[in-house]
Amino acid sequence: MTTLRLDRINKFYGTLHILKDIDLDIAQGEFISLLGPSGCGKTTTLRCIAGFEAVSGGSIAFGGRDMTRAMPEQRDLGMVFQSYALFPHMTVAENLSFGLEVRKIAPADRERRIAQTLEMVRLTGYEKRFPRELSGGQQQRVALARALVIEPAVLLLDEPLANLDASLRDDMRFFIRDLQQRVGITTIYVTHDQGEALVMSDRIVVMNRGVVEQCGSPREIYERPQSLMVADFIGQSNTLTGRVTGREGELYVIATEDGPLRTHGAPGLAGEVRVMVRPENIGTAPGDNTLRGRVVKTTYLGASCLLNIETAAGSRFTTHAPADSPLAPGSEVTMGFAAHKAWAFAA
Amino acid sequence: MTGARKTLWDHVFTLLVALIYIFLIAPILLVVLLSFSGGEFLALPMEGVSLRWFEALFSNSRFYEAAVHSFRLALVSALVNGVIGTLAAIYVIRFAPAHLTNPLRVLMSAPLMVPEILTAIALLFFFFEVGVGNRWSMAIQIGHILVTFPYVFLNVASALFNFDRSQEEAARSLGANGWLTFRRVTLPAIKPGVITGCLFAFVISFDIFNISLLLKSVGKNTLPLELFDYLRYNFDPTAAAVATVSIALTFVAVLIVDATVGLRSLRF
Repeated sequence: MTTLRLDRINKFYGTLHILKDIDLDIAQGEFISLLGPSGCGKTTTLRCIAGFEAVSGGSIAFGGRDMTRAMPEQRDLGMVFQSYALFPHMTVAENLSFGLEVRKIAPADRERRIAQTLEMVRLTGYEKRFPRELSGGQQQRVALARALVIEPAVLLLDEPLANLDASLRDDMRFFIRDLQQRVGITTIYVTHDQGEALVMSDRIVVMNRGVVEQCGSPREIYERPQSLMVADFIGQSNTLTGRVTGREGELYVIATEDGPLRTHGAPGLAGEVRVMVRPENIGTAPGDNTLRGRVVKTTYLGASCLLNIETAAGSRFTTHAPADSPLAPGSEVTMGFAAHKAWAFAA
Repeated sequence: MTGARKTLWDHVFTLLVALIYIFLIAPILLVVLLSFSGGEFLALPMEGVSLRWFEALFSNSRFYEAAVHSFRLALVSALVNGVIGTLAAIYVIRFAPAHLTNPLRVLMSAPLMVPEILTAIALLFFFFEVGVGNRWSMAIQIGHILVTFPYVFLNVASALFNFDRSQEEAARSLGANGWLTFRRVTLPAIKPGVITGCLFAFVISFDIFNISLLLKSVGKNTLPLELFDYLRYNFDPTAAAVATVSIALTFVAVLIVDATVGLRSLRF
């Protein structure tokens, strides 16, 4: 069942075309991440959904009802802001109570729901505190509770973890995802952090320059990117340009400067393509595809070693080796990777 | 121990700060002190201690009437500016076209930059030209409102400027309409600016001289004007008693604000 549908959303600021034909269907209970570099339009998309920005074209429907021109307060959604935007002159309980009062919920009911929601975000006992008396992580949970207590149809999160320190950010990823699953609320999450998007989402929408580059499950996005932008933005990747010369069953045979490679890839490829291999899928032993090169640089990472390798044709690869690898800069090395670990997409 | 060792500069700095405070506070203390003088003149050394000048003050109906007049002017100025200064700030910061924001800001602050005496002369001509003249204390009241307007406007504008607007968006997303959002989120956030601005407007209006001198109605002096008139012919400590009472009144006003809305809300 579709909770939220964006149909060819366009947005202009003056002559700047910020969003170009954004289409998106979001199912009930789904966790969707809008992922992309800054300026890609992900936050603008979220603000259009929230009703803080008017769209220049296209339509937005909540549960089948057209809401394109509805005021934010009519849209039945909860939003968590990057700055949290807690009301500083209200206590935690009053912050949560605000949305319930506006909705004319009876006082006894209000108290019960506030207590329940605070328990859910593990802040029971903090009712009387003011936001300035809380840590960043606690403020963030209050913001989450304030958005959830009104039991909205859709939860919107705008880079909610950006202001937290690294270790807390990791905890909060799982906390938010877990909470979302327990409540079963449809969630749209804006982030520029691919790690967050991969860990938390049911589906990731990768955006770039106002268009949707690719939309799919974290696994699809990571293992089967459809463009160089997606391959580069999500994780580390090695890419080679080449040309499709034939097929071997499921596999494409692709001629590159480093010789022919066997890969799988998007259906129906022909002509110029790119081949992508993730560093963790390249070994230092011959495989389905074998390349020879010379180590240019080694970087010690603790758990492993990062090798930068240059082939005779001048292509550069990065790959991981054991931390105690004897390979030093200048040494000759053989690289191999399995055909099903390499992925080709249209150049 | 690697604690902070005081250098010579630290001592010089402390001394300078102390001197600045003495420079600022000494005249006030001196005036308060002299108002309790037993002598006939506003001069040191004091000849004994007495409350006779306060008695002289309170039996002087001219000072009393002037004080009431000043208080009323200041109160009306503060209240009127509390409304129009706040509305003006909201318009300029929130609704004015971007290219007009700065020109409007300068325009709204103009009463601060134009010498007060010029404003006074201009208003004098204006009110006689439109036929109001100096009747009903209208000219002086409008003059006071005009001159104290920027204090409210600038304070509220800076509060609005520093306000995180996503709080308003949060309120909207929680289901509050525009008016409810303003009343329950924006207004509390800019309240310190409004109160500080009104307090400034009150104190400045109470203290202002040039505008009052030119625009006053016949026979109705403000306290500073009455004090000046008095000092022209007398030089006894009644003047100091007037000052002491004004200082006490200001102090009381601050205490009342603290007790009702709380000065803790006035943090910048």
